[in-house]
Amino acid sequence: MPNPPSRSSLARSLTVDTGAVLLAFLLAALVRSGLVKTIPW
Amino acid sequence: MSNPSEHATTQPVLLRWAGYLPGLALLAGVGLLGKLLEQTINGYCKAHHILFPNIEYVLWAILIGLALGNLVTLPRIFEAGVSTYEFWLKVGIVLLGARFVLGDILKLGGISLILVVIEIAGSLALMLWLGRLFGLRPKLASLLAVGTAVCGVSAIIAARASIDSEDEDSAVAIAAILALGAFALFAFPMIGHALHMGDRAFGVWTGLAVDNTAEAIASGAIYSDTAGKISVLVKTARNAMIGFVVLGFAIYWSRQGLAHKVNNKAAFLVEKFPKFVLGFLAISLLLSAHVFSKPQVAALGNLSKWAFLLTFAGVGLRTNVRRLFDQGIRPLVVGALGEVLIAFLTLGLVLGANAIWGV
Repeated sequence: MPNPPSRSSLARSLTVDTGAVLLAFLLAALVRSGLVKTIPW
Repeated sequence: MSNPSEHATTQPVLLRWAGYLPGLALLAGVGLLGKLLEQTINGYCKAHHILFPNIEYVLWAILIGLALGNLVTLPRIFEAGVSTYEFWLKVGIVLLGARFVLGDILKLGGISLILVVIEIAGSLALMLWLGRLFGLRPKLASLLAVGTAVCGVSAIIAARASIDSEDEDSAVAIAAILALGAFALFAFPMIGHALHMGDRAFGVWTGLAVDNTAEAIASGAIYSDTAGKISVLVKTARNAMIGFVVLGFAIYWSRQGLAHKVNNKAAFLVEKFPKFVLGFLAISLLLSAHVFSKPQVAALGNLSKWAFLLTFAGVGLRTNVRRLFDQGIRPLVVGALGEVLIAFLTLGLVLGANAIWGV
């Protein structure tokens, strides 16, 4: 059975998740404001 | 000049950030090389009228990453940056929310909507049953089920992060989905013509049965323009379910862990619940509220694809082939068997609905 998650793994998970969501929303805000242009795919 | 204490606190942070750069450059290089290969090979085959399946950059990036990660001993300087691929995965998923309007599902006819729900429920049940029958690890079976039920690679990647499965599991599931998707490009139009299917019915079928969005739409478009448009609508309805299906699996696996380990259920659920799914839903809601214009939606879609490019390169680089083969051929057999059964199940659904209601 898996070990219970440690405090450090919880903190890391929260940091990565929160960071990813914040970056995504920052990018969305920048795109909406017209401040950045994306590289065409 | 900065004082010594300031220098002591800022230097490690700067060094740590700089430590990510080599690996990030490697992720970008592998992903871009995969994209270049896709464009070059497809362009060459098209120019020389060679019939060759459209192999997406995803597969090339994973293959290049696998080769580099397993045949060459990469210096440790790349480790930190390569390990960020999960971060880019989550960024990509949140931004992907801009491609899925929950209201899109309403554009479909009621019958098509019912077929989508049946397909997702049937695929999930079938793949999980096959997984148990062939003795697959439950999380690998979950990934295959999500990949075949919803939208292929994106769904696998989304579920992989939500249920904390092994990298090898996602690589195997992705490889199976991509291989079968390339096969579908040829097989589906041939079957459709053999059965003299109407454009609308064929579009509904490819939208229901082909997993990766690009292959589903391409299969429809190969058949006819109308079939391609219907395929886009049905596939969008499937894609709109990604959040809900991933959410279901995340809760299911959280509860599995909860039953064995944790007394505080609320805290465990809060901990295990993937926060990026909320971000994904929030962006979807913003899109539904018309916060973004069309060009902005396209730009967010671009950013999502670039984030996934880094992710797919990382999946290959972080996959240990030796451990992959230790697992045996069963996952691929389950994937192929499940895909064939789902193709026939959905074909029966579409033909039945067509006969009764004229889909």
